[in-house]
Amino acid sequence: MSSLSRSRMSPLQLAGLAAVLAVMVILPFYAEPFLMQAGLFAMAAAIGAIGLNLLTGSTGQLSLGHAFFLAIGAYGYVYFAAEPDSAHHLSGWGLPTPVAAVLAIALAGVAGGLFSPIAGRLKGTYLGIASLALIFIGQHILHNAHAVTGGSNGREVPPLEIFGFVFADTPELVVLQVPFRALEKLWFLNLVLLVAAAWIARGILRGRPGRAMNTIRDHEIAAGVMGVPVARYRGAVFVLSSMYAGLAGVLLALAFQRTVPDYFGFILSLEYLAMIVIGGLGTVAGSIVGAVLVSMLPPLFTRYSDALPLIAASGSGGLDAAQASRILYGAVVIAVILFLPGGLMGLWMRLRTSLALRRKVRPS
Amino acid sequence: MKSTLRSAAVSLVALALAATAAGCSSDKATGGSEATGPDGVKQGPGVTDKTIKLGIATDLTGVYAPLGKSITQAQQLYYEEVNQRGGVCGRTIEAVVRDHGYDPQKAVSIYTELNNNVLAIPHFLGSPMVSAVKQRIESDKMFTIPSAWTTALLGSKYIQVTGTTYDVDMINGVQWLMDKKLIKKGDKLGHVYFEGDYGGSALRGTKYAAEQLGLEVFELPIKPTDRDMKSQVAALAKEKVDAILLSAGPQQAASLAGIARSQGMKQPILGSNSAYSPQLLATPAKPALVEGFFIATAGAPMSADLPAIKKLAEAYSKKYPKDPLDSGVVNGYGGASIVVSALEKACANKDLTREGLINAHRSEANADDGLGTPMNFTYFDKPATRKTYIIKPDEKATGGAVIVEQAFESELAKNYQVPVGTF
Repeated sequence: MSSLSRSRMSPLQLAGLAAVLAVMVILPFYAEPFLMQAGLFAMAAAIGAIGLNLLTGSTGQLSLGHAFFLAIGAYGYVYFAAEPDSAHHLSGWGLPTPVAAVLAIALAGVAGGLFSPIAGRLKGTYLGIASLALIFIGQHILHNAHAVTGGSNGREVPPLEIFGFVFADTPELVVLQVPFRALEKLWFLNLVLLVAAAWIARGILRGRPGRAMNTIRDHEIAAGVMGVPVARYRGAVFVLSSMYAGLAGVLLALAFQRTVPDYFGFILSLEYLAMIVIGGLGTVAGSIVGAVLVSMLPPLFTRYSDALPLIAASGSGGLDAAQASRILYGAVVIAVILFLPGGLMGLWMRLRTSLALRRKVRPS
Repeated sequence: MKSTLRSAAVSLVALALAATAAGCSSDKATGGSEATGPDGVKQGPGVTDKTIKLGIATDLTGVYAPLGKSITQAQQLYYEEVNQRGGVCGRTIEAVVRDHGYDPQKAVSIYTELNNNVLAIPHFLGSPMVSAVKQRIESDKMFTIPSAWTTALLGSKYIQVTGTTYDVDMINGVQWLMDKKLIKKGDKLGHVYFEGDYGGSALRGTKYAAEQLGLEVFELPIKPTDRDMKSQVAALAKEKVDAILLSAGPQQAASLAGIARSQGMKQPILGSNSAYSPQLLATPAKPALVEGFFIATAGAPMSADLPAIKKLAEAYSKKYPKDPLDSGVVNGYGGASIVVSALEKACANKDLTREGLINAHRSEANADDGLGTPMNFTYFDKPATRKTYIIKPDEKATGGAVIVEQAFESELAKNYQVPVGTF
């Protein structure tokens, strides 16, 4: 595995990457708003999933508290960026929005740091149980710290504004005769940030820290013997993973345009775990594939249910699209765990190796 | 280094290619301009010469699935009846049903889709979901009927909260308990409620009524995940409350009533409209629910002696013989009728745009569809009515509930200042 992953990208891979990028750039010019919206969620989720994968996939630390850090990113951004609103008893700092976004990510990191005495000492499933508490603390705060979070009503998310360029519906920007509204503008922002986040994570995983993390996952004592400061690494990865979640949270807030506390619950944490398991533990590409699959599958299913065979229209009594997508989703998770321990990326790797072997064998 | 250079070059080429491709024609570029039909009616999104599309954003797989199903089916029944009569404005109504499974993210995606192709949303389930798209509803001018009765959703021209809000129900309910001598001045009320806008709204009403009537309130917040009410009952017993108020789900109602009665607690229990569902009568909690358990609600039960409701009960049971006749049926049917009568008015004004529809709707000061809840739609910073029915579970009645007290508006509720956009 490691010899493969350390190799440079092959021309074929580069071409593939370029093709994907090209499609992502062209999409906003054609896709309907619904797809854009779902795509925004998927890209934000991909960043969050990369963060969780660094922690769970690469270092072997289970976290069920990922939704908590997503919430810190989202609400942190809103709190730092919003003007105080005395009519609704809401406070805010009214900072420039990019500063607010950076601060929100930093805040998520700090929250992760505060948890690191625990994150550094506990391993595997024990950390999972401990981090579960964060979800419940988070839900309590979100519902009750009304001045900061807006309570159950949630809060309006101020649109991001970078050097006078506003990521909102107005002013409308027309690019190549296509009107660019909030969705299209945010699409490119998310795309750039996703590429950057993936590139950084790839760098970490392929360098010295990545190897140290994998060793901690595979054999903690061996890592310690080789001079890896295990507790410090675990704490640090937890902070990093929280910051990824913070960034994802900011992007989710921007995509939602309004934060609602009910979203950041236990189910959300489980969805992120499902993403990295389905995509493939310990790989960046796997996180992205998993995030896209988990967050796009249900909405696509409901959207195009009319065209699918064997699926009844919603509300007509039969097996409807939403139920079908849930069943399918469950089936995919079970199938991946049973048959593809490496997730979809693992399957891809296996296919590639076997193809390469066959190619080598044939000429002789 | 070389690889970085190479990938940068490749990315640039990709971007250049993409930009060229994007230059080609895209149907997004045209933009949706408002058209006018051959009959001279201006048409908004989702309206063609032959059809009017309406959106239903409901929950068919999540926690409120039973309610979502009832409302959705009742609305579909209504549109079918309208279409059999020849539709509205010479156009048939087509419902676009989408299931968000009580997940705000899915609700936002669904709303984005519906915004593109429907004229209005006559059923949008769940206040967290509606809250998540509240601003978009305003900017898209989307006429929306939320299936949630919190004061947090008041204050928007485009959102029509039907019936009373939870706080008004509680005020009327507490007043009724006083009138019936079930409680007296100086007594203590124990209110078990969901944290959040549903419970928060209801609690606000209770506190107001208690203050005005000289009662004490013992607050007991719970979470939707708390299903076993043992510790809550113990706390209520310890506080020696004289009446129990409940703003939670049916599961909590069954648990609370069952445990309280088995411990010999005889206090009256008064629930908000979402605290009861007729399915509870098939559970072991039945004996506890048929005695001393009341619900304060703006909607008339299916057993009400109204011709429109009788007709609805018959038609619904004929079409969906296996499904229960719960409060969602009247509610969904009523919501559909509100939107359809607004459509008819808008059609008479030759304006089936979103703006035309909401203006037609807001001109209705005395809407009565015969379902027992007349409403005034000309304002949106107050509930459309302040009349509450007191009903109680009854296994023999159609829909599992009978009226104890006809709809009334107490003096307290009349003078009550409703919070707008909050709770």
